[in-house]
Amino acid sequence: MTRRRLAAATAFLAVVALAALAPFLLGPYLVGVALDLLMWIALAESWILLSGMTGYISLGHAVFFGTGGYVMVLAWGVLPFWLVVPLGGLVAGLLALAIGYPCLRVRGPYFVILTFGVAEFAKFVVVAIEAGLGKAGRLMFGAPSLDELYFVMLALAAAAFVIADCVRRSRFGAGLRAIREDEDAAETIGVPTTRFKILAYTLSAIIPGMVGTVMVLRSTYFEPLQVFDPLISFTIVTMAIIGGSDGAPGPLMGAVFLVSLSELLWANLPEVYMILLGALLVGFVLGAPDGIHGWIRARLARRGA
Amino acid sequence: MNLLELDAIEKRFGGVVAVQALSFAVATGEIVGIMGVNGAGKTTVFSLVAGNQRPSAGAIHFDGRRIDGLRPDAINRRGIARTFQIVRPFSGMSVVENVAIGAMYGAGRERSPSAATARARAILDEVGLADRAGDRAGALTLAGRKRLEIARALATAPRLLMLDEVLAGLTPVEVDEALAMLLALKRRHGLTLLVIEHVMRALMRLCERIIVLHHGEKIAEGAPDAVAADRRVIDAYLGEPAP
Repeated sequence: MTRRRLAAATAFLAVVALAALAPFLLGPYLVGVALDLLMWIALAESWILLSGMTGYISLGHAVFFGTGGYVMVLAWGVLPFWLVVPLGGLVAGLLALAIGYPCLRVRGPYFVILTFGVAEFAKFVVVAIEAGLGKAGRLMFGAPSLDELYFVMLALAAAAFVIADCVRRSRFGAGLRAIREDEDAAETIGVPTTRFKILAYTLSAIIPGMVGTVMVLRSTYFEPLQVFDPLISFTIVTMAIIGGSDGAPGPLMGAVFLVSLSELLWANLPEVYMILLGALLVGFVLGAPDGIHGWIRARLARRGA
Repeated sequence: MNLLELDAIEKRFGGVVAVQALSFAVATGEIVGIMGVNGAGKTTVFSLVAGNQRPSAGAIHFDGRRIDGLRPDAINRRGIARTFQIVRPFSGMSVVENVAIGAMYGAGRERSPSAATARARAILDEVGLADRAGDRAGALTLAGRKRLEIARALATAPRLLMLDEVLAGLTPVEVDEALAMLLALKRRHGLTLLVIEHVMRALMRLCERIIVLHHGEKIAEGAPDAVAADRRVIDAYLGEPAP
């Protein structure tokens, strides 16, 4: 077991090292695609901390991405880049704490609807603030180069993966999964359910906040309707469902799969991409509810037995 | 010394009174039975003590400290565990994982998952589920799931263990085995037991004292023989004699 973990850790480091070579080997277009991929990996890995482990589906994770982006917009030119990235994570985490405290008291579909509602609410608050300030979209001058942003995003994606993996294996993660199985039984055997849910939600918001700070510089343009776009939330959920959300490998597989698919189809056949996406989602929910990762794991287990 | 004390506990659901003016105490090391017909309020008493529901009035003390109003996880950490009459295993997890999570939390709070798993295996051995450790909990038979309920509760290292109809549906031979197992667990883990049971004979053999509930009220309390001969208990079970 430990030997297998050592092998897995080595493979992980090798992949990260290989990814770090991308800016030296690839042209700017492909580095941009790789940056997008890393962004989705970081977002989806963070999302499973609450929603994969406990089954409390957050349909509004764009709010943390957007908040991070807005922090960068407000702090740009005032604070140095390297300071604003963690600051964006901190603000997103505090926002999750404030949202989670009331919202995580409701269960099931009500929680899902609440997260979506809160994200839309936050979006229009930012729109209103920007309108009040007389701004209609902002240009961000002097952003770091694509390569620099790429390295920051690689670090965030790697960190999100490691956090998800550690939580999945930890005592904390076992408590979260007990909540998913049966929340009443979990709290009756001593799992502090409310505290754990709020902690997982907060933890799941921090990296998306940091990702938002980076991506707003990548687009060099800030438009609230764009960074708070609900499609970001939906895409995260889709990746986690297709890849599997009960462990770190799932979201990684889902992100790689969907980003590749969109690269192949988006430019030439955008309608086909959306149709295929819908069909895939239905197919996975019905046929492989544990995603690609869950399906592979089940096959391996069957072969072992 | 009393481990558990209920003082004038009342539970109302809207206009329905589920438990009324209920007071009793359980001493350390005792085995106390709770019996009563369906709907008498037995399971509600467990839920009130374990914190799954809050009493509408009254006070509950455990080990001298007041616990009513605390969250279930906080009460469990103080050393009270319960099983559920309608079993609630973590069906998607393996049997050993179910028990290991109990060992990680509760009063025992094993910090490392591997130590928790080791303790879980020892407990599975005690309840006779060791050979099913790797199976999915959902795949167990009902008798197996009842044992899993006990194992998971026991893994939280309680001082007071509340068992809700863990013998129901077992054959007479299985009941004998289960009684022997419960007594062995009690001795080895230094438990105090509060037991709800419909299997009357089993309750009579297991308990030193029995409390009888009827319509949420205590109508009798005492040694098994005395309770069985009590006029009001017989009336509650068989109906009032015709006038």
